[in-house]
Amino acid sequence: MSRFVIVGSGAAGIAAIQSIRELDKNSEIVLVMAEKEGYYSRPGLAYYLNKEIPEAQLFPFSKDDFSQMNLKIIFGIVESVLPETKAISFSDGKTIRYDKLLIAVGAKAVRSSISGTDLDGIIYLDMLSTIKIAIKKAKKAKTAVIVGGGITAIELVEGLIAQKVKVHFLLRKDRFWGNVLDSEESQLVENRLKDEGVVIHYQTEIESISGKKGKVFAIRTKTGEEIPCQIVGFAIGVRPRLHIAEKSGIKSERGILVNEFLETNFPDVYAAGDVAEVYDPHIGKHILDSLWDLARSQGKIAGFNMAGKKKKYIKDVPFNVTRLAGLTTTIIGAIGQKGMDTKAEIVRGESETWQEIPDALVSQYKFDSNRIRLMIGENTIVGALIMGDQTLSEALHQIVNQKIDISTIRDKLLQSQVPLGETLANFWKEWRKENAY
Amino acid sequence: MDRKKGNDTNIGLPSRRNVLTTGVVVPNTSRCVQCGICSYNCPINIDVRRHAWLGEPVKDRHCLTCGECVQRCPRGVLRFEATNMFNEESILNGGK
Repeated sequence: MSRFVIVGSGAAGIAAIQSIRELDKNSEIVLVMAEKEGYYSRPGLAYYLNKEIPEAQLFPFSKDDFSQMNLKIIFGIVESVLPETKAISFSDGKTIRYDKLLIAVGAKAVRSSISGTDLDGIIYLDMLSTIKIAIKKAKKAKTAVIVGGGITAIELVEGLIAQKVKVHFLLRKDRFWGNVLDSEESQLVENRLKDEGVVIHYQTEIESISGKKGKVFAIRTKTGEEIPCQIVGFAIGVRPRLHIAEKSGIKSERGILVNEFLETNFPDVYAAGDVAEVYDPHIGKHILDSLWDLARSQGKIAGFNMAGKKKKYIKDVPFNVTRLAGLTTTIIGAIGQKGMDTKAEIVRGESETWQEIPDALVSQYKFDSNRIRLMIGENTIVGALIMGDQTLSEALHQIVNQKIDISTIRDKLLQSQVPLGETLANFWKEWRKENAY
Repeated sequence: MDRKKGNDTNIGLPSRRNVLTTGVVVPNTSRCVQCGICSYNCPINIDVRRHAWLGEPVKDRHCLTCGECVQRCPRGVLRFEATNMFNEESILNGGK
C-alpha cells in the first residue's frame, strides 16, 4: 500500500486527492494543511468581502465529504523534501515518509516594503485569515487607500465600497490595468468606479504610511499629497511559495518547474497549481498563472500520474471571468497589444499569457459598455476580451481554446462596418451544427 | 428559429418558456471557482455549486428553474439548456 502525501489544501491539492481516490480506494492519503481553515474557495474571498456571501459559504465541502475521501489530515508547515529517505520535514522538526508527494502550496500575495506596512490596517486579499482582518478593519474605517492593478485591486476596491468605506484608488500608470485592457476599456472601468464614488489617483505612488498608536493614520504620496485613511490595501502581485523547493533543491525559477506529467526533477515528487511553472504549448514557454481552473486541472492530472495512470497535462488557454466595476468581463488567451504598458507581475486570478502580444490583428465591437475585442491570427482567433454582454463568451472560449478555423469569416471580422457579434453568433451556430457540439 | 429543438435565440440558447417547462440548469465547470453564490441564493437549498464541481446538470426534481443561480453567478458558469428526452446523453455531457 502506498502513501500519498499532498501538501496544500487548495484547488490543486483537493483535485489530486479526488483523482487518486478514483483509482485507488485503499492507499493512505495524507493531506498537509498550513491554514487552519482548510479547503475554501480562495476566489470566493472577494464575494465574502463585498457581502455577497457569508463566511460559511466559502467552504465547498462538508466534514462528510472529507471523511468519504478517507484522508489523514495534518496541520503544519512543511520545510523541505528529503529525497534520499523519501520524507518531508516540518518546521517543528518532525518528518513523515511519502511514496508519492505533491507540492501544491500555492502563491502568496506580494507584501509591500514601503515604510509603515507593519502598521495595523494594512490589508491583502490573500487568505481567509487576511480577509477577516480586512473586514474587521472596514467596520471601523472611514477611508481606505488601495494600491495595485488588475482583478485583485478592483475586488478590494469594490469590497470596501460594499463595506461602506470611502476608497482612494492609486494607479502607478495613467490608466487601470494597462497591460491587459486597452485604453477605452480602462476608461470604461475607471468611469464606473468614479460613479460609485471611488477617487482615482493616476500616476501616483505611496511614499510612506504614517501611523498613530500603531494604526494606519494617513499615506503620503511621492508627490507630497497626504490622504488620511485607516486602511491601506495592496494588490501588487502574487509569487509562488518556493521555500520548500529552495530548501530542498527542487528545480525552480519563478515557480517550481514541472514537465508535462507535472513531475519535478525529484523522483515521485510532483507540483501543481499556483506554485508550479508549467510549460504552455500555446506560446512555447513556461508561464505563471494564478487561476483556479488551471490549478484544479493540474491537480487532477498530477493525481492520476501519482496513482499510476500516466496522463499528459495539456494546458487550456488561460481565461477568467470577473467583474470589473460591475461589468462582467471574460479574458481568453493572448490579448496584449503593441503599445500597451510593459509586462507586469500577475496578481491572483490572472495569467501571464494575457499580456502576450500575439501576431494578430485587432477587431473590435463596441456598444455602450458592451464590448468584444478579438485578436485575429492567420486563421484562428488567438485571444478575446468580452465585456458586458456575455452571450458570446462561451462560444469564443471554445473558438480560441480549440483553435477553430475561422478563415471563412476572417475578412468579415476584420471589416469594421460588419457587426462582429452577429457574424460570430452565426458562425458558432453553424459550427455547432456541423460538428454536433 | 429552431423550435423543434426548443432553441430560439440566435446562438442556440433556449427561450424562457422552454426552460420553465422543460429546462435544466447546466454548469460549465471550467468557469467555476466554487464561491457558492449559486447555492447560497437557491430558494430551495439545492447545492448548485456541487453540480458545478462535478460538471453535472442540476437534475434535482425540486429545481424550480427560477434562474436565481444563473443570474447571480458572477462568472457565467450556469446556463439553461432545454432538455431533450430523446437525447439524454446530450444533457449529461453538459449540453454538448
